[in-house]
Amino acid sequence: MSFISWQYALFLPAMVLLYWQLPWRGRIFLLLAASYFFYGMWDARFLALLLTTTVVDFFGALAIAGQRQSTAKITGIGLLPLAWLSGCSLLYSSHASIEKWILVAAAVFPLVYAALYQWLWRLPVARQRRAFLILSLGSNLVALGFFKYFNFFAASLEAWLARLGWNAGWTLPHVILPIGISFYTFQSISYAVDVYRGIARPSHDFFTFAAFVSFFPQLVSGPIERRNDLLPQLEKPAQFEIADVHRGLRLILMGLFKKIFVADNCALLANYAFDPKTHLNGPWALLGVLAFAFQIYGDFSGYTDIARGSARLLGIHLNRNFNFPYFAASPSDFWRRWHITLSFWFRDYVYIPLGGNREGRVKTFRNLWITMLLAGLWHGANWTFVMWGGYYAALLTLYHATPGLRRLAEPEKNPRGRLMAGAVLMFAFTLIGWAIFRCKNLEQLAGWFAAFGNWDPTVDWIKPFYWWLFHVVPLLLLQLASWKSRDEVEFAHFPWPWRGLIYTLLVLLAASSVAPDVEFIYFQF
Amino acid sequence: MLALLAGAELIVRVFYQSSMSGRFEYGYSPTAGFVENADGTVNLVHIGGRHFWPQTFAMPRPPGMFRVMVIGNSVPRGPSLATSYPAQIGDQLRALGIQAESFNLAIGGNGSLRSEIILRQALNYQPSLVILHVDNADEYEDEREYARAQAFKSWHPKNWLMKSLFLRRLYEAKTEEVFWKWVPAEVRVLADVNDYGNKTLAGENPATRREWADRVRRYTAESVALARARGVPVLLLTGAREHDDGHGGFYLDDRGLDTLVQPLLGDGVYFLSMKDILQKTDFVPLYSDGTHLHPPGQAIIADAVVKKLLAEKIISPGR
Repeated sequence: MSFISWQYALFLPAMVLLYWQLPWRGRIFLLLAASYFFYGMWDARFLALLLTTTVVDFFGALAIAGQRQSTAKITGIGLLPLAWLSGCSLLYSSHASIEKWILVAAAVFPLVYAALYQWLWRLPVARQRRAFLILSLGSNLVALGFFKYFNFFAASLEAWLARLGWNAGWTLPHVILPIGISFYTFQSISYAVDVYRGIARPSHDFFTFAAFVSFFPQLVSGPIERRNDLLPQLEKPAQFEIADVHRGLRLILMGLFKKIFVADNCALLANYAFDPKTHLNGPWALLGVLAFAFQIYGDFSGYTDIARGSARLLGIHLNRNFNFPYFAASPSDFWRRWHITLSFWFRDYVYIPLGGNREGRVKTFRNLWITMLLAGLWHGANWTFVMWGGYYAALLTLYHATPGLRRLAEPEKNPRGRLMAGAVLMFAFTLIGWAIFRCKNLEQLAGWFAAFGNWDPTVDWIKPFYWWLFHVVPLLLLQLASWKSRDEVEFAHFPWPWRGLIYTLLVLLAASSVAPDVEFIYFQF
Repeated sequence: MLALLAGAELIVRVFYQSSMSGRFEYGYSPTAGFVENADGTVNLVHIGGRHFWPQTFAMPRPPGMFRVMVIGNSVPRGPSLATSYPAQIGDQLRALGIQAESFNLAIGGNGSLRSEIILRQALNYQPSLVILHVDNADEYEDEREYARAQAFKSWHPKNWLMKSLFLRRLYEAKTEEVFWKWVPAEVRVLADVNDYGNKTLAGENPATRREWADRVRRYTAESVALARARGVPVLLLTGAREHDDGHGGFYLDDRGLDTLVQPLLGDGVYFLSMKDILQKTDFVPLYSDGTHLHPPGQAIIADAVVKKLLAEKIISPGR
């Protein structure tokens, strides 16, 4: 179910109205049912995977905190994935098949997991916590690695072997990438690690924890929430505040504007410029990457706004994920403004555990490169994403190593003129990064760079440039209008007639561009 | 905000409703594009899904006037109004001393159903002759747009936003004044690439081709019946495409259309084949893309039509 579909336009109000009629416990069950329904609209079978990782992390975190659960309880709850898959195979046998081995694995899972769980309790106490953490992390990473990267690494290995003259002749299985897996596994990993570190306590209620993992506004594309931010809000009943409704609706409106008016219209130009059959020249290479920069920003930040707005209507506050990223003055500033919850996740669970910047310059750069390469790989199973991560590692290294640029990492220590120059430079660097990100392969990337040597106009680019301006200028004006409040959707400092006019214009601009569905980009991650 | 939107909707419904009728019927509106004026004239206009060349004619046909109306797809629509064969038919008839007028009601992408809908309205304007350009190249779009038009009329939640005339007009204004003018055809085509792919795949399926042939047969027969009922002669002009024969030469293909229309002939219904007309010429330079004709090609078709009308004694010089 897409956030910009008519189904969601009916689903959300119905959900919200029912939610506020129910007592706290009822709300948890409603949230859980709604979240599973929301996810199941894509492919109901993969709810079994979501259930499985939920079961492992729920019991794993309790064990990390030294709270042992009975085999009966673990087995009972562990049978939920099998029950679900069995129901799917009975009801949907003609629509989507379930392989027999998957049903067998689902049947065996609770027995194996319960046995492993009880075996780990026999380990020396000093090793138990770490063992359960490894089990929890391992199950999430194995699921993520298999569904997201199996085909990529197998195909890469096959190609490499072919270059050595060996035809592997494999028949690779078609592995479907479950949507949201990159997000909910990371959320679960942070939960287990925070419990291990002692900065969070485990949830004792399976259903509340399941609602935390599967909370529908942020399940598919984030923000990636921390246990201490989201779970407390679910563990106690939210109070209805009319201010939350206003804020939620504003967020949703802004998100729809960014997605429908900005992102989808910029996508027209970006898709043309980055289509392999397009004979690219300099103007279109530049216009294409400018269009993509605002397509991906409008798409992703628009999605986040709708997610936060939807949650706000339920009285739940989700973390901000974007903060004027194209005004960043340096790469480190950019990563404090772009996909904030992901970059902070990598900082807290990869960069800092590796040693961060505490062990000298060489190790700092090493840790930076590992973190950014993994962050690139997280975005997708393609070497261009890894290269994109490496590009930002190189930029961060360059800025760190260059005295004149290093200062830009702390914007508050710079005069405005210097910051503006830094922002312009950083935007140029960002565009190069987006070209790497958008190209399907290295050949296409090389072609993009080579296009700048050809300025012969083939297809008109001036009117498409006006098209781009037409859709980007309103967004930039809005950003300038909300700059004072340092919040991309906040215009509270404007008098109410002006706010009304702004909101009306946003509705009209979005309605003027209602077009065939263009999927959110970050769904593929 | 709600007050502003409601106010705008009220204004549009009070002052602009009549001018917006048919816009969102994707060419299936019976009357869209035909603007009947109080002075007794009819304007053909570009509106919504009906992209007529702008033309004007008198609503009652003037006495003694031989009025030709040509209905079809982008082939008779031509590269411009003046160079299209419908216009050139008018020029050639007038050159023969005949008091004649010829109107181009062809629209790119129109299949057999949309042509029938236009013909139904055109018959209200007393044509002396209807030329129906018969083709099967646009049946995919015709089916797709018909489904879209039917879906749009429904109260399905996905259509609720566009039930607002104000928002609908805004969407259309942006599409026609900004999107069509600022986004080049090459970019727009790519945005529809999935549909191009679907159309190509559909066209390669023999069962689909048979369905399209049945469609053309059915709606062309209905069109002929409508014209006969009004006593209006019909000239069925079947299309032809140019293909590479793989040996450095080209050939013309009517894709079965010449055979398809044979059962409809007789009793005021006449036939011309583009393939037969162009086969007698050096046709390769006449085509711009294997389907559409350059102005010289359009002139040859017009010439053939006029000769046919003379041969069938539908017209006589100096009449």
